[in-house]
Amino acid sequence: MTAAAIDARGLGKDFGAVRALDRLDLEVRDGEFFGLLGPNGAGKTTTVHLLATVLTPSRGTARVAGHDVAREGLSVRRAIGLVFQETTLDRDLTVEENLRFAARLWSLPGVVAGPRIDALLREFALLERRDDPVRTLSGGMRRAADIARGILHEPRVLFLDEPTAGLDPRARRSLWERIRGLRAASGLTVLLTTHYVEEAEPCDRVAVLDHGRLAALGTPAELKQAAGVGSLEEVFLAHTGHPLAEADGG
Amino acid sequence: MRAVYGIVAREFARFLRQRGRVLASIGRPFVWLAFAGAGFAAVFAGRNEIDYRVYMAPGLLGMVVMFGSLLAALSTVTDRDAGVLRMMLVAPIRRGTVALGKTLGATLLGTAQTLVVAGLLLPLVHLRPTPAAALLGLAAIVLSGLAIGALGLVLAASIRSIENFAGVMNFVVFPMLFLSGALYPLRHLGPALRAVAYANPLAYGVDLLKHALLGAWAGAGYGGELPVPLDCAALALFAIVGLAVAAPLLGREGGVARTAFGERR
Repeated sequence: MTAAAIDARGLGKDFGAVRALDRLDLEVRDGEFFGLLGPNGAGKTTTVHLLATVLTPSRGTARVAGHDVAREGLSVRRAIGLVFQETTLDRDLTVEENLRFAARLWSLPGVVAGPRIDALLREFALLERRDDPVRTLSGGMRRAADIARGILHEPRVLFLDEPTAGLDPRARRSLWERIRGLRAASGLTVLLTTHYVEEAEPCDRVAVLDHGRLAALGTPAELKQAAGVGSLEEVFLAHTGHPLAEADGG
Repeated sequence: MRAVYGIVAREFARFLRQRGRVLASIGRPFVWLAFAGAGFAAVFAGRNEIDYRVYMAPGLLGMVVMFGSLLAALSTVTDRDAGVLRMMLVAPIRRGTVALGKTLGATLLGTAQTLVVAGLLLPLVHLRPTPAAALLGLAAIVLSGLAIGALGLVLAASIRSIENFAGVMNFVVFPMLFLSGALYPLRHLGPALRAVAYANPLAYGVDLLKHALLGAWAGAGYGGELPVPLDCAALALFAIVGLAVAAPLLGREGGVARTAFGERR
């Protein structure tokens, strides 16, 4: 039996009196492209941070790549890649220096990291900018570099937290093409958070989150069929009683 | 260990790119030597025991290692604001490894700057340490860098933003400098201030540097005042306690997860 890529049971998190995530039950299969759809403040980022051991759960348990997030943080972190909502690149270092820095933090030997960095830079169209400080890169290129760094250590599960926030439509499209290519090439499990329905549409399954609660879960087709509507936008409305876009406060 | 090397290498890459920081760290002691040194030398002139500029040399080296290590450690605040710290915290390494890497980076940066300054400053004041003295001086610089780097990391992990930096300068850097024996011998201080001085890692570092450089004036009361092993032990203790305190502070949720919080606002 292969363990699920992600298995959360009653997972929750409070910040003081604020209940960011109530009790989430979630199973993401190996190789799945899974979407967490919801407005800002729905608990998407909190969920990702809990699964990535950035936060410690207030209740419940979760296993990622077979490891318990509360007790086996190092093993979890070894198995995952995480692309944060805001870039975490060092703006003063060059693209290549950023990737080398990551390679060392993930203990990749130089002989392994070197060719992999070359391949990723080529794949993400950053080859000509490798010696430029990240500061000088466009938003789309920074995002590409963030993602290249996130998969440098060949994780089993990749978390993408609102990866297209702040990108223009063309940069978005090329980002989605890259992610599709990656999944096809490596069978990587991807957990994506987004508040754009069109980004959740190509997901294998989507979990609709609202106010820290799971409102619905299924394939986009199942969700639409069950709610008797034609779009994920309407699915969100049917389950939460309010539209997705209106709750999007930035 | 590759991770520690990575963190240290990044510190050096960043430092060398900040030309202003390089020039400031190397120029600062000479500004003190020229202006503070000239004034105090005139006051001390009648005593004829030691040229004040010679007396200042170990203190100035202590000052370079203090600024070098402290500023490098405080860059952790910028790392947190820029998100780089989060990225280090999702790497498969322990919080302690991040703390150790930052402290070692700060130590080595402080040491490198101090060695460059020593190469220029010591000939200028005609101090030519023997190999043994130079080795003791190097130990003093490295140990001071470790102690102050670890302390800087505790500060960086506790302060919220770089805006609190002025407070750090006023209430940490200046008292640390003045109560270190860098500018005057501590034995003249009253018991209360002396007690404060002995809670200051730089005091042990400067004392050790005086053992290394001012041995010839020890008889006149300008050499090291404390036993060498005590200086070393105190610095090592500061480093160990600092690291132990900083590691959990760095990984603390508040430092990392503020946007998770902000998402709800």
